[in-house]
Amino acid sequence: MVSSPKVRAPAYRSFGRSALLTLPIALWSLLMFTPTFRSSSRNLTIGAVAAILFMTGLFFMMMRTGTTYRWRRIFFVALGFLFPIGFITTLIAERGTMSIPIERMVSGDTPFCFMVTPALILPAAFARTVVFPGSILPSATNPHSIAIMIGLWFALTLVMGKAWCSYACFFGGIEEGFAGIAKRAKIRKLDPRLRLVPWAILLFVVVVSAAIYEPVYCMWLCPFKTVTEFPAVRSVQSALQFVVFVVLFAGLVVVLPFLTKKRTQCGFFCPFGAFQSIFNKINLFEIRINRDKCVDCTLCQTACPTVALSTESIREGKTLLNCMKCGACVDACKKDAAVWHLKGTEVGVKPERARLLFLYGTWGLATMFGGSILANSLATALHLMHWN
Amino acid sequence: MRKRILKILAYTGATLTLLIAFSTPFYLMGAFSGAVAHAGLHIDAAYSGGPIARSYQRDGYQIVVHQPVLTHALQQASPFVQFEFKPASTLPAMVDEEIDLDGDGRNDVHVTFAMDRRAGAKLSGNVVALNDNYETIMGVGDDSFSRMLVVVNNAVIVRVPFHAAIAEK
Amino acid sequence: MATGPVCLASCGPVVLPWMLTQPQGFKRHGKRLAIFLAGRFAGYLLFAIVAWSIGLAIPSSLAARPWVYGTVELALAAAMLVYAAGWPHPRCRLVDPEETLVQIGPKVRRPRSGALPLGFLTGINLCPPFLIAAVRAAQFHNLGSSLLFFASFFAATSIWFTPLLTLSWVRRSQSLVTVARMASLLLVGWYALSGIRVLLERISYG
Repeated sequence: MVSSPKVRAPAYRSFGRSALLTLPIALWSLLMFTPTFRSSSRNLTIGAVAAILFMTGLFFMMMRTGTTYRWRRIFFVALGFLFPIGFITTLIAERGTMSIPIERMVSGDTPFCFMVTPALILPAAFARTVVFPGSILPSATNPHSIAIMIGLWFALTLVMGKAWCSYACFFGGIEEGFAGIAKRAKIRKLDPRLRLVPWAILLFVVVVSAAIYEPVYCMWLCPFKTVTEFPAVRSVQSALQFVVFVVLFAGLVVVLPFLTKKRTQCGFFCPFGAFQSIFNKINLFEIRINRDKCVDCTLCQTACPTVALSTESIREGKTLLNCMKCGACVDACKKDAAVWHLKGTEVGVKPERARLLFLYGTWGLATMFGGSILANSLATALHLMHWN
Repeated sequence: MRKRILKILAYTGATLTLLIAFSTPFYLMGAFSGAVAHAGLHIDAAYSGGPIARSYQRDGYQIVVHQPVLTHALQQASPFVQFEFKPASTLPAMVDEEIDLDGDGRNDVHVTFAMDRRAGAKLSGNVVALNDNYETIMGVGDDSFSRMLVVVNNAVIVRVPFHAAIAEK
Repeated sequence: MATGPVCLASCGPVVLPWMLTQPQGFKRHGKRLAIFLAGRFAGYLLFAIVAWSIGLAIPSSLAARPWVYGTVELALAAAMLVYAAGWPHPRCRLVDPEETLVQIGPKVRRPRSGALPLGFLTGINLCPPFLIAAVRAAQFHNLGSSLLFFASFFAATSIWFTPLLTLSWVRRSQSLVTVARMASLLLVGWYALSGIRVLLERISYG
C-alpha cells in the first residue's frame, strides 16, 4: 500500500454546494456538544469547539474533494492517539497507576471495553452470567457500565456494520498512524490467509471463554492493554500476561503496520473485527467493483489496508466480508470502478448518493462518539499543559 | 418491476438507517441499554462475591457473609466464601474475629488483621480455618479472586477458599 | 445430566474446531461424532476401572492427579495438532471436503479423522465433574456397579453433545476449514501450556 492512496484527480464540488451538504453535520455537531458548552470547564469548551470544527472541517473536505479515505484517516489517527492520552491521564489521576488492582475488579468498577463482547455471549445466553468484572448498571464510579456500552455498541453497529473499525474503534487509529509513516511498504507479499486469523482467534476466544468462564482475550491477547489498563503485575502469570500484551502491541500495532503499511492488528488478529464483519451481512452499505469499468489493475487491492479485496472477489465485483468501508480502494481507483453502493440498487449508478447516505449516518455517529472522546482528551491534554 | 421494488426498499432502509443514527443519542442507545439492564444478567460471582447470606452485628461494625461461590469447573478461581467488615472506617485498629460462615452455629474461621486507614494502603492478614471445610491462608492480601483481604468502598472484603466437598451440600 | 453443560464446555474447545474440519453431511458427521463419543466412553470405562481399583487409596491418588492431568493435556494437544490442525502427518491431512475446491495437501486413500483418539483423550481428561464421579465410583463395592455408574454418567452428559450435529449442515468452504484448523492450532497451544503449567507446579511444589 502506498503512503496515501494515489488519489485520482478529485471530482471537485463547488464550495457552496459542499458547504450546503456539510450543514447537517455542522448542526448535528453543535447539538451534540451543546451540553459541554454549559459546563464550567474552559478546557472542555475549547475541546468541544475544536472537535466541532475538526469533524465539520473534515466532512467538508470529503464533500469538496469527493474522496473519503484521507480525511477519515486524519480523524481516526487523531482518535487513536488522543484517546489513550485522556484515558491514561484519568487513570493516573484517580489511582496513580495504569494497572487495575483486584479491588477495582471486585467492586465492579472496571470500565467495559467492546472488544470483550463476543466472549460474553455464550455464558450470557446459557447462564445469564457476564464473565467480566464490571457492573451491569452505571454508577458514579463506573459510568462505562456493561448496559450502557453494549447499548451504544449495538446502535452504532446497526448503522455502520464493520465500518465500526474505520469510524468508531478508538484503537485502530494507532496502527493506521504507524502504517502511514513510511512511503513504501518494506514487506509487500502477505499471505491472503492471514485475513482468516481473526476468525480463528474469535472461535478460540468464544469457546475457551465459555469453558473457563473468563474473558480470555482480555486476560491474554489484547495488545491495547499496553495503552489503557492491565491487571496488576503481582505474580509470574500476571507478569507473563503483561509481556504478551507489550509484545503484541509492539509487533502488531507498531512494527508490522510500519513495515507492511497495512492495519495488521485489525486485519490479521482482532477477533472483535471478525465479529463485526458478521454485521456487514445486514448492513445496507458496501463497496462494489463495477466490472464494466474495472481494468484489473489491482490498485484497489494494493490500497486496501486489511486485504479485503482478492483477485476472485474483484472478478466478482465485490469486497470480502472483512471490508471496513474506509474508502481507500474507492479513492485509489483511477477508473471509478470501485464505488460506494447501497444494496438493492444498481452498482455504479449514483454511487455518490450511496456515499452521502452512508457518511451522514456514520460520520454523525463518529462525531457523537469519537468527537466527544477527542474533545475530552484534548481538554485533558490542555489541563496537563496547565493551559487553564 | 423487481428492480424498482428493490430500489424502493433500499432507499427506505437507508432512510431508516439514518433515523437510527440520529435517534441514537436521544432514544435508541438508552432503549438498547435498558434492554440489556433488564435481561436478567448478573456479573459472575467469582468477581461480585455472590449474594448475601447473613450478617452479624458487632460493636460499631457489621460482618456480612455471602453465599459460597461455586466457581465453574474450569475457572482458575477456586470455590470461596466472601465476607466483609463494614464500614471499614469504624473498625478497630486490630481486628480479631471468629466467624460462622455457614450458619450452623459453629465458628468456621478465625480472622486477624491490622487495620490501616491510609488511602491506598494494602492490608495483610491471616485466616485460620477452624474445620476442614475451609483453607487456612496466612499473610493474605490481594492474592487472587478466591483468596483476598482488601479494602473496597469502605469495607474490608475477605475471601477464603473452601473445599469442593461442601459445595455438594 | 446437571454436569453435562460443564462437560460440553470442557470438551467443546476440542470438539468444535475439530468437527468443523470434518466433511459436511449429516451421516458422515454423525458417524464421526459417534466414534468420538465411543472413544470418550472407552476412556470413561477405563477410568471407572481405575477408580474402583484404587478405592480407599483415593487420598494418595490425589497426589498423582496433576501428573495424570498434565500428561493428558499434553497428549490432547498433540492429538489436536495431528487430527484437527492436520499437521504434520500426511495421512491426517484433510482431503478436500468439496470436490470442486482445491486439494489440501497430498491426496491420501484413507484419511483418518482422529475421532477415536480425541474422544478417548477427552474421556480421560480429569475435569472436576469427572473427578466427583470418580470419587463416587470408587465407593461402590463391585466393579460392575462402578462401570454402570460411569456408563450412566456418560449417557447423561453425552446428550449435551447432540446439538453439535447441527454443524453437519454448515457449508464447508476452504476458508472455514482453514479457520477451524487455525483455531485448533491455538487450542493446541492452550492445552500444551496448561499441561506444562500443571506439571511444572507439581514438580516445583512436590
